[in-house]
Amino acid sequence: MIQLTDVHKTFTVKDKRTHLKKRIEAVRGISLTVKPGEIYGLLGPNGAGKSTTLRMIAGLMQADQGQIQVCGIDTLEKPEKARSVVGYLSTDLNVYGRFTPRELLRLFGEFQGVDAKVAERRGLHLLEKLQLLDFADVKMEGFSSGQKQKVSIARALLHDPKVVIFDEPTTGLDVLTAKTVLDLLRVMRAEGRSVIVSTHVMPLVDEICDRVGIIFDGELHGDAPPKQILETWNAKTLDEVFFQLAARSAAEV
Amino acid sequence: MRGALLVCKKEFMELSKDRKTMFFTFLMPVILYPLLFTMMGKLSQNDEATRKNKPSRIVLVDPGHVVEPLLKADGKAFEVVVAPSGDVKQAIRDQKLEMKLEVDADAATKLEGHKTFGLKATYDKSDDSSKLALSRLKETLQKQDKAWVQARLKALGASPDLAVPTKIATEDAGDMGLFVGKLIGGFLPYMLMIMMFAGSMNLGIYTTAGEKERGTLQSLLCTSLPRNQIIWGKLLFVFAVGIISALFNLLSMGLSIGRVISGGAGAAGAAGAPMGSLSALANPVTLSLTFLLMVPLGLLFANFIVMMGIQAKNTVEAGTAIMPGFVVVMVMAVFSMAPGIEKLAFLPYVPILNVSLAIRKLFSQQGNPLEYTIALLMTVGLAGALTWLSTRLLNRESVLFKV
Repeated sequence: MIQLTDVHKTFTVKDKRTHLKKRIEAVRGISLTVKPGEIYGLLGPNGAGKSTTLRMIAGLMQADQGQIQVCGIDTLEKPEKARSVVGYLSTDLNVYGRFTPRELLRLFGEFQGVDAKVAERRGLHLLEKLQLLDFADVKMEGFSSGQKQKVSIARALLHDPKVVIFDEPTTGLDVLTAKTVLDLLRVMRAEGRSVIVSTHVMPLVDEICDRVGIIFDGELHGDAPPKQILETWNAKTLDEVFFQLAARSAAEV
Repeated sequence: MRGALLVCKKEFMELSKDRKTMFFTFLMPVILYPLLFTMMGKLSQNDEATRKNKPSRIVLVDPGHVVEPLLKADGKAFEVVVAPSGDVKQAIRDQKLEMKLEVDADAATKLEGHKTFGLKATYDKSDDSSKLALSRLKETLQKQDKAWVQARLKALGASPDLAVPTKIATEDAGDMGLFVGKLIGGFLPYMLMIMMFAGSMNLGIYTTAGEKERGTLQSLLCTSLPRNQIIWGKLLFVFAVGIISALFNLLSMGLSIGRVISGGAGAAGAAGAPMGSLSALANPVTLSLTFLLMVPLGLLFANFIVMMGIQAKNTVEAGTAIMPGFVVVMVMAVFSMAPGIEKLAFLPYVPILNVSLAIRKLFSQQGNPLEYTIALLMTVGLAGALTWLSTRLLNRESVLFKV
């Protein structure tokens, strides 16, 4: 279970031209809940606040205001414990090129408090599911981005997390690999995990998400099944919802 | 602490995969120093032997033929040559000859009249062969002077002892080990500082800014490892690399120098004497106390490197930020080698420099417990403060996600 209550996050950035510092509200009062056995799609354009929200849920960043709970654990109070039940994947994350997938998974298993041998066994099982078992003992330096993404997925799921956070999970992947990832997400839903994904790929949302939230300018607009969102906004596609939000935002400015 | 050890293990595992870095960090010095020192020793020995076996070429201006027979009598040491055309001084600088010797025109008359005659030697003070020519000439003249004085005294019917009112016997109270210890104590802190810093600098950058640049730091941060343990693991790794690198360098250098010294001493007939005395001086207590000082110093350097590295956006920025620190350490290290520096009263209170002072005094058997304790406590305090600061920095999102 993931629960966000009135979460805020502000960054201070420096204007290179004026040399003045200014505060940017990346996330403004987001509240949402992802139940066990549910896939929640977080949609929004670049810079809308999706990745910041996911990082806060994963315990990588801390909210300035509000509360985030994963499996009943407050991420602000017990970040390490919260991270132990979260599997986080992002396009920003890379793998250690000098290691083989087997070595990396053993090591990260230990980081997550899993016995090295158990971690290796689980890791190899995940690599098999992701059709990468043949490369388990090959240095990752020469891996394609798709292969690296698969290893990252295995790393994120190694400790059997109850909460799975995938930030742009299919970015840069070919159709076949993307399908493998989507199948895996479905399996995780069936296993009763709370899954939250952010993406730009709208067909993916239609295909796998049970509920959808649209982030625009740090605010959450709509929190409902995809069809209901389309009905509410009187749109045929989720892209149209984006355009309407952009137009509304421009009008407000 | 388990998390820190795991992170450190990961860093060493990663390092072990990079054979080139392993070779250049740890093995290269082991191969390089013996090669370098053996080569230098051989070259120096060959050069000295060549010089000693070659007579000094001298342009002699001796109208009275007073000195000429002396030089010609010792063909192994001197070769009287014809003056080259052009400037003689330039010819000496060009190593076409070693010396020009001008004897007073009335030298023979003065010698007969029991008077002093003059000689003027023109040589190149910066050239070893030219200096050897002068020392050979002085030695020859000293012997001849003695013979002439004794002949004069005999002619006057006086005792030969008349010209030797005193005769001094000398005994060296110095300890060869102490001498070598002072010598080593002078440059050991310098070597330790430079090697510890340089040895861990690049790997420190690789494991901090490098991880950010490669996008692997976040995958480490999203594990359940506490962040302070991640920074401690990295610190431990950078510190260990610095210490191992310095020890490898020193061991290799020590063995190489030892070989050169005992080789040279062997030729002189006193094989192993300096090393024997030194080994008595470098006893387990001295070495342990030195190592005890190295630990917080290494931690101080590791902290600085990690702190700068973690704040940088990329490896280039980290290198640029750490380099001034390296320059400061180098300047301090060079300063610590300056003669007489140990007499400065404020030195025991200057961080880093007080460590070099303490090591220097330990090796010259002048260890001061108070100064040693101040240096140790100050370095431990500084290392602890920097560790606290580094840990706090790694927890800052603006630092971690600065790309």
